[in-house]
Amino acid sequence: MPLVQFAPLSSLVQPVLWHKLTDLKIDVLKLSDAAVPLTGSYTIGRTIKDRETGQDIALPCNLTVGAESFESDFKAPHGSVTAPGMLRNFNTIEEFKAVDKTALFNEEAQLIWDHILKTRDTAQLNRFFVITFADLKKYKYYYWFAFPAFVAKPAWEIGDDGWKRAHAELGIEQLTFIHSHLRNSASPYFLVGKDTFGKVKAGPVEDYSSFFSSTGPEDQLIGFVDPSADPANPGWPLRNLLAYLRALYPSSTSSIKILRWRDTEAPSPNAQWKSQIGTLTIATTTEAISEANTRPTAVGWEKNPQGKLGPRMADLAPMMDPSRLAAQAV
Amino acid sequence: TWKDYARRVLTVGTYPQALTVYLEEFVAAGDFLVYKFPVWNWEKGDGTKVREFLPADKQYLVTRGVPCLRRATSLAYTDADEDAERLLSFTENPGAAAGDNDEWVETHAGRKASKSAGDASAIDEIPDIDGAGDEDGLIDGIRGMSVGGGVTNGEGGSKEPDIIDIDEIPDMEEDDLEEADDAAAAPKTKPVAPPAVSKSDPSPPKPTNTNLLQVRTYDVMITYDKYYQTPRVWLIGYDENGTPLTPTQIFEDISADHAHKTVTIEPFIHSTSLQAASVHPCKHASVMKKVIERMNNSVVAEQLAQRKGSGVASPSTLSPKDTTKKKWGFGRKASGTGKEVQGPAEDEEVEGMRVDFYLVVFLKFIASIVPTIEVDSTTSF
Repeated sequence: MPLVQFAPLSSLVQPVLWHKLTDLKIDVLKLSDAAVPLTGSYTIGRTIKDRETGQDIALPCNLTVGAESFESDFKAPHGSVTAPGMLRNFNTIEEFKAVDKTALFNEEAQLIWDHILKTRDTAQLNRFFVITFADLKKYKYYYWFAFPAFVAKPAWEIGDDGWKRAHAELGIEQLTFIHSHLRNSASPYFLVGKDTFGKVKAGPVEDYSSFFSSTGPEDQLIGFVDPSADPANPGWPLRNLLAYLRALYPSSTSSIKILRWRDTEAPSPNAQWKSQIGTLTIATTTEAISEANTRPTAVGWEKNPQGKLGPRMADLAPMMDPSRLAAQAV
Repeated sequence: TWKDYARRVLTVGTYPQALTVYLEEFVAAGDFLVYKFPVWNWEKGDGTKVREFLPADKQYLVTRGVPCLRRATSLAYTDADEDAERLLSFTENPGAAAGDNDEWVETHAGRKASKSAGDASAIDEIPDIDGAGDEDGLIDGIRGMSVGGGVTNGEGGSKEPDIIDIDEIPDMEEDDLEEADDAAAAPKTKPVAPPAVSKSDPSPPKPTNTNLLQVRTYDVMITYDKYYQTPRVWLIGYDENGTPLTPTQIFEDISADHAHKTVTIEPFIHSTSLQAASVHPCKHASVMKKVIERMNNSVVAEQLAQRKGSGVASPSTLSPKDTTKKKWGFGRKASGTGKEVQGPAEDEEVEGMRVDFYLVVFLKFIASIVPTIEVDSTTSF
């Protein structure tokens, strides 16, 4: 059976975040390179129809940080889910280069793992972090995002029929129910099952142990808001959800039905629901179950535009440098 | 709520020169846009830049990540395309002398790109940000940077200073994990860079679907311009890798008739420091008047025709389809509250276009200025 492949998140930094970082650095952080909380958000992956070729084009899975990301009461805009994170800004390019990234990454991965075992809070599963260096005089911002994700060993596999359209299996009524449920909860992960009367219900993944008590195995669904619009590959946030389920419920999760939620809006009458369903399986041994509490390795440094593991740079001089703006003004 | 304003009709005749929009109409039209097209959101903007005449949480409208598949400059001009470019003079009679301010060039009305331009891979030619001419050495410095390079793999950065040579350095604690990850991480896109990259790639698992393209995206903001009493559009662009576009790059996405003329880079009014490309609103009111006038005529005509027809059939037999078939879909039915409005009280006056459609129309007008930015999400309307 084919391996499940996950579409990585890519960072999208709104220029206004660099403006905010500049202010923060000058007014608050000064020479401190301590971690600052930063909240990002992502939306359901979007596709667009190319009007000239008629082709559907999937837009990248972006994790966006912007103006309000430094605010503690950040609320994701309608249709988005939040991802908690942190930012560390270094004072010099040398420090930025020299920081022990492996250690930093492990710390963050450990943080997620601790949350899985101790708080069981799924809101922490999509944590991310970014290291930055702001060259304020040149309006250049060097940054490197990481989206830690635990590696499943052995890897998850998907049935030969792959990801199927959800509406064929669930029906419009159930999808509409899930849609309205998600409208009211901003959680990136959720469960769908049946209550004692056989009616569809939805709830938080934290309730996993009790939620499915009245649901037959074929109706148990684990859903997530999918930032990937690629029909073949689910988005990155699924990885840690799978790790979460394996760590906490190793005996009941060797074969699970995953719902990739991809409908921001209920489709118009002529369109189809985009959400997809797939049955994922993992080869499991008693040994693996006894080791469920050991932290798997994690990956997730973002690659740069060249496809290499390396930092990125945003050059805002054309949009920030007063002298260049003056030259450009007519 | 917007419903209260929805009953007001855009009374074109009221303003002799142009169609301006009152503040409350802007808010109502914005509410409608957000309600109908959830990709749009109200934002509050920078706390120090609050404009008090607007509700604090409704300072401006924004939609993010609007895709831009190809460059406006790549839309090739040929003689055949000449028909596609038309002056929107909006006069019923072509012979009538239109005031010289009354025209607006709509380019590429037919949206035909040349074949080569139509190939989205043309986008690949955008230069890498750190490609050329950075003398400050920082970039060179940063190229040697690596994850754990000094720790696990001594040859990390020093071997080839010109290339970011960290692909072989694992991004995790153990060496053999890279492979494990490769199996589970979907290749992001077809390599944008030279084919050499894909050759050196030891045949990564191919996704079954390869239509993941990298495209430019834009954040589009709509503010209220108090002086001209019209909405005003602002653009912030990102390249295929999510890095901000320079003004020059942004102008590639603006129709040549408007770049550097009506579109300029200016401080965004809801931020203390942000710069954005903006379409100057000085002609908006008059153009919008023409557009809406023309649409109103057809809407009213259609409504009248419908009324005539319904003299035979009872109003209640008007199926929703009949009303939504109107050009631009400006039927009451399309408003989402259609059911309430349409009921037995069908005896309202012929109403023309309602005020809350203003921004929907406005976006269609803006789409003519930025033909390749998919700003008009309202086509499903």
